[in-house]
Amino acid sequence: MSADTPVLSMRGIGKSFTGVRALDDVSLDCHSGEVHAICGENGAGKSTLMKVLGGVYRPDEGEILLNGEPIAFRHPVEARRAGISIIHQELSLLPERSVADNIFLGLEPTRGGLLDRAAMQEGARKLLERVGARVQPDALVKSLSIAEQQLVEIAKALALDAQIIVMDEPTAALDERDAGRLLELVGTLRREGAAILYISHRMAELKAIADRITVLKDGRLVATHPAAALTPTTIVRLMVGRDLADFFPPPSDPARLGPVVLSVQGAGNVILSDIALDLHAGEIVGIAGLEGSGKGALGRALFGDEPFTRGRMVVDGQDGLIASPRAAITTGIGFLSDDRNKEGIAPQQSLRDNVLMTLRAFARRLLPPGSGAMARADADRQLTEVDVRAAGFAQEIRELSGGNQQKVVIGRWLARDPKLLIFLEPTRGIDVAAKAAIYQLMRDLADRGRAILMISSDLPEIIGVSDRILVMHEGRIVGELKRGASEEDVMHLALGTGTTEAAA
Amino acid sequence: MNASADIATARPARDLPVAPLLFAGSLALYVATALATGQHAYLTGEGFVGLTQRMVGLGIVALGQTLVILVGSIDLSVANLISVSAVLASFIMKGEPAMIAPAVLAVLALSAAVGLVNGLIIARLDVNPLIATLGVGLILQGLLSASFSNFAGSVPAAFQAFAYGRIGPLPWSVLLLFVLAFAIWLLLARTRFGAHLYATGGNRDGARLAGIRTERVMIGAHVLCSLMAGLTGLYLASRLRAGAPWVGRDGVYDLESIAVVVIGGTLLAGGRGGVWGTLAGVFLFATLDAVFNMTGIDAFPKQVLRGAIVILAVAVYAVRSKGHVA
Repeated sequence: MSADTPVLSMRGIGKSFTGVRALDDVSLDCHSGEVHAICGENGAGKSTLMKVLGGVYRPDEGEILLNGEPIAFRHPVEARRAGISIIHQELSLLPERSVADNIFLGLEPTRGGLLDRAAMQEGARKLLERVGARVQPDALVKSLSIAEQQLVEIAKALALDAQIIVMDEPTAALDERDAGRLLELVGTLRREGAAILYISHRMAELKAIADRITVLKDGRLVATHPAAALTPTTIVRLMVGRDLADFFPPPSDPARLGPVVLSVQGAGNVILSDIALDLHAGEIVGIAGLEGSGKGALGRALFGDEPFTRGRMVVDGQDGLIASPRAAITTGIGFLSDDRNKEGIAPQQSLRDNVLMTLRAFARRLLPPGSGAMARADADRQLTEVDVRAAGFAQEIRELSGGNQQKVVIGRWLARDPKLLIFLEPTRGIDVAAKAAIYQLMRDLADRGRAILMISSDLPEIIGVSDRILVMHEGRIVGELKRGASEEDVMHLALGTGTTEAAA
Repeated sequence: MNASADIATARPARDLPVAPLLFAGSLALYVATALATGQHAYLTGEGFVGLTQRMVGLGIVALGQTLVILVGSIDLSVANLISVSAVLASFIMKGEPAMIAPAVLAVLALSAAVGLVNGLIIARLDVNPLIATLGVGLILQGLLSASFSNFAGSVPAAFQAFAYGRIGPLPWSVLLLFVLAFAIWLLLARTRFGAHLYATGGNRDGARLAGIRTERVMIGAHVLCSLMAGLTGLYLASRLRAGAPWVGRDGVYDLESIAVVVIGGTLLAGGRGGVWGTLAGVFLFATLDAVFNMTGIDAFPKQVLRGAIVILAVAVYAVRSKGHVA
């Protein structure tokens, strides 16, 4: 084979599921030492394409060439043996097994028919060092943070000595610092000659590491360009097929700021200390911080999920620490969890059942059909208001994209019309168009006099949406930034290297 | 239900009308077997009443099991609670009509207490429901075996009317089963508790963060389930004319009640399903009993067939709910 034969070449791949065209004539290739980024909205076909490559699905049309040789996988194991390693978005580690066990899962070294534990430990140690993970090979996976698990997942991919590595949104669960480390590792792997397919929604990442970028839309390939030739704006335009000039809605008018809705003083619990903040009607306040900074804990404390144990809290004129989510809701607080699947949706129930959940929590004892918490019209109005895209509102929510699921969960709160809404990672794992819709929804709520606390690990989102930014570090609020602050300003405070009241 | 927002009662397995299909299929099997074996007595009014009477014992306990499975739990203690209830009822009655009311009250109070314990262990201590109810069931059986080894006491003739009495052509017990089924359907579809039950079963953490007091819902479902088991115990004592410490175990009411709930299309994970499917599952099992009686085949193939049906039902639902991937 010639030197410029791509390691991987997919030609004219097509795949349909019961009449739905998931992939249509998609061709792309990837060379040794190249990072080829793939982006597209949810449902654009990225994951299907990767599953075809990984042997999970067999393509209906087209062929896959490995070093110029056509191949056909009948099973994921065959793809792995051929040197294709896929790091899925959902981690696939066994929580109750050790790091070393996980890294060598299915490839366990043996000696005389028995597991060679010493070789596993040693091999795991080397791989962990390479990916920059400071974890012990014999630690149980469940004791690791999500970020560490992600690194173990990558070490597992490297154990294969894969020539092709596919990463599906590897930084989705990571904060900026860990994401940065991961990107460095991707750079190292590229230098060592791996061919890397990299799926991501984060524009900054794509600019930082991609050599070429391919955009998919509705199962078709829109374009493949050198990364240097694309700006974030053009990438977004290719993905959604239109310009998203107003991606972030305009800020609130400081003159129209309403009264204080939430006031906290000297509050704390096991994780948090000295929390003091005031939130006005009509503003969106962003809370930034690294993983472990306590920003998620702050949201949960305000909502009574893991309550404050000391300090003072006044919500809409009502004084007192909030002890349970139900009490929080009664006081006028709404809450969006950062774990939509575990704490948000009832996956196998209809959109209507899901959107009515909060209304039903506070309904009267008897529910005559067609009224109150059983009113189809009310449910449909809420779903329409948040602009959920679905085949029908009786559809099971699990069939929807993450963005639409998130809109349903937001819609749940509209019926209660809370004074204060706490959004934890409101756009995690959501495509660009749905992101913009959710930002607009938040801004509309603020303009109608609601106060919004947006807790997020996504820095561009924090900077683009918030009217003010509070930054947390080690369980405290360490600084406040005005709109217009840069990512560097936020990171300084988040890392604890900035001064308090910086840029105030 | 068309006027109201869908509460998750409707069509568990993607547009498959489970309950009518099961009813129709079972009925066809019953009629065909009676015709084929020439036993036309089974096709008279009396024959059909006999068929529905086979549903009562399993039916009542399965209604309760439906509630706990919908809320995302399960109850393995029902069989042993049935034994305890049957023995307690006949032990207190000792053939005295005057003791019927105290005995019934005692059984219901005990059942409610067992349900409360199950619910508290599961909701407050966060013990896996399989383990919690298995443990409670073993404790109940242990206490019972320590105190009784054979039929205890007896049931007065007046109480036997529960199992054998009729109004018109319809046995009391069959009427009770259908009244209970209707009441539970109302509870699920028309009350706040029902809506909370579906929400909690659909996603316990999600329901809690939406403001539902999920612990209460979980405990309530378990109390109702145990009350149903207690009623089944009373029914069996009435039918057998005395309670024995093995009636629940012999009926395999724990596993069979779970089986019919699942056959009826209720998700084992909770959050979706309803009583009519369960009742249809009970009807299918009653039909199989009758069919095997008609053909005179012994009991072992019947067990094999039941097992196969449970697996088939779950497999059908699993395949149908995989849906499209895209």
